[in-house]
Parts: sequence; structure tokens; C-alpha cells
Amino acid sequence: MKCPIETRENAELLLAYCTRKLDAESTAILERHMEICPACREFSSGQRAVWEALDAWEAAPVTLDFDRRLYRRIDREVSWWQLLMRPFRPVLVRQGLPIVAAACLVVMAGVLLQHPASAPPAVQPQSAQVDTFEPDQVEHALDAMHMLGEFSYRVRGDAADSKM
Amino acid sequence: MPERVKTDMGGATAALDYDAELMLRVKEGDGASFGLLLERHRSPVVHFLYRMVQNQAVAEELAQEVFLRVYRSRSSYEPTAKFTTWLFRIATHLALNSLRDRKNERLQERLDNDSSDLPARQVSDRRPSVEQKMVYQARLEEVRQAVAALPEKQRAAVLMHKYEEMEYSQIARVLRCSESAVKSLLFRAYETLRARLAHMA
Repeated sequence: MKCPIETRENAELLLAYCTRKLDAESTAILERHMEICPACREFSSGQRAVWEALDAWEAAPVTLDFDRRLYRRIDREVSWWQLLMRPFRPVLVRQGLPIVAAACLVVMAGVLLQHPASAPPAVQPQSAQVDTFEPDQVEHALDAMHMLGEFSYRVRGDAADSKM
Repeated sequence: MPERVKTDMGGATAALDYDAELMLRVKEGDGASFGLLLERHRSPVVHFLYRMVQNQAVAEELAQEVFLRVYRSRSSYEPTAKFTTWLFRIATHLALNSLRDRKNERLQERLDNDSSDLPARQVSDRRPSVEQKMVYQARLEEVRQAVAALPEKQRAAVLMHKYEEMEYSQIARVLRCSESAVKSLLFRAYETLRARLAHMA
């Protein structure tokens, strides 16, 4: 076997051996080589020492409120739009359609005001006209009708007498 | 919990890692899946960041930012790479930025004093003697200093290789470099560490 320490690529074998990631066949070959190679033996023992020293470095446990803090940040971030819309939400849900309808009317009115000439003249349906009269006016009208009736009766009577 | 699941995506059956599957569910609005992702990766991410920046408070703050970015990106997420590759890429990016940010120095110094009690919390219930504790503390400090003295990319590579047990190819994708560059980084890093820590054998 060519000494793995001589080339960086082969040194990967030594690293894998020291981290116990080397397959059984390659491990056997390397161990046979190390029996006769003091440089590889030294590398290996040094690397194992590093590995064990690093093993001793345990990280502290994550604090208990990590998730709570994270979710609070997420909530803050996600809901800024919802917070903005919150005062309007019940109105939008319950009265959405009337508001939309009112908004449409306002828009239409705006359009009509901007283009009055193009708007067709409003036709007032006569049947819809409702006039209000005072009682005196009604009385006068009835009197006038009565007088007209009497007048026409007399005119017809006079005409009949003259024919005879 | 299955590590890999098969999922049907657009008619083609693609193999996704379980995390990517969870992330796709988050994309569809499933908040519980985000909780699962957090549960699975909270500790590895915080521990990686702690060993990178060597300060627990800063590490947790950065980890919060990592998960926040994951959540923010949910709508545009596409499982093009392994989820942990993406996750550690974000974490590494933030850690390197934090290390480069000189403004953090004063905060770190102040918090380092507070973190002097951290090793005490890590000691198991065997109740070591005062002398054992002191030896442990001294060794730990030496390891911390040796790792902190590594160039940032070498440090990230060593931490991912040693503690996250990532393959060279995945480390390469996280650091956006070639696999041979990762091997070279690791070889140089371990060489430096050997020079500083070999006497601990």
C-alpha cells in the first residue's frame, strides 16, 4: 500500500479510519500499513486525540422558551397585515355586500358626474308622479266641477228647447 | 419516524427526505409540520451555531433567525436539495456574518462572562471532584480556543463533519464549494487541531 500520508487525497483514508467510517477491508489494509509506518501511526493517534477532545465539547441544552420566542416572532411577522385589517374584519364579513354595493354606486355616480352630457336624459315615468293636494284645493276643484256640470246641463237644455 | 418517504409529485414519483416532505406540508399551510421540523432540527442547529460563535445567547438568536427564514421561505420552497443542506446553509451564512460583524464583539465579551457557568450544566450526575472539574474546564477551554482559532470556513466544515456527521458532498453543498475543496479544508483544519490538541491523548 502506498503511504496515505504522502498525498492529501489518500490522507482522507486516514481521516475516515480515525473517525471509524472506513470499511472493514480498507481498515485491515491500513492497519497492516501502520504497523510499518510510524508517520501514519503518529497521524492516527494524534487524530484520535483530536476526535476525543472534540467529543468532550458538549453543547449546552437549548433554553426552554426557544419555541415560544420563535412563535412569538412568527406571529408578529405573519399577522401585521391581519392586525391592520382586524378592525374592519367583522364589518367586512357581515356587511361586505352592502359596502361593495355602496362602493359601486359611488363609483357609478362619479362616472355619471364626470360625463353628464353622455348620460341619457332621465325620463320621469308619469305613473310614478304623485301630487299632494290641500283639502281647500280639493273643495274648490269639486265646486268648479259642479258648476261646469250645471253649466253644461243648462246649455244642453237650451239647445233642446230651440230645436223644438 | 421514517427518514425517507415516497411522494407523488406531478405524476412522477420522487423520493423526498422526510424533512422536505414536512416542509412541503408547511408550504400548504400545515403549521404542525413546522413544529415537527423545529422539534427535529432545533438542537442540531443551535449546537452548530453555538460551536461556531461560541456564545449560547448569540447562537439561540441566530437559530431563531434560521427558523424564521425557513418559515418566511415556505411559499417559495422547492425540494431541490436535502432539507438539512438548505437549513445548514442558512445557519452557516448567518454564523459567518455574525462572526464577521465586529459590532457583536462587545456583546459576546459580556455574554461570555455569563456563559462561564455553561460547562457546569453539562457535567453529568457523577458529581466530579473540584479537581476533575477544573481539568475538564481547562481541556474544554483548550478545545474551544483551538476550534475558534480555525478560519471560519474550516471551522464550519469541521463542525458539520464532526458533530452533524455530514458527508463531504453535503458539506460541499452547504459551503457552496467542490467536494475536493471540502476535503482540503478538513485536512488542513484537522492538521491544525492535531498540532494544538494532540497532547491531550
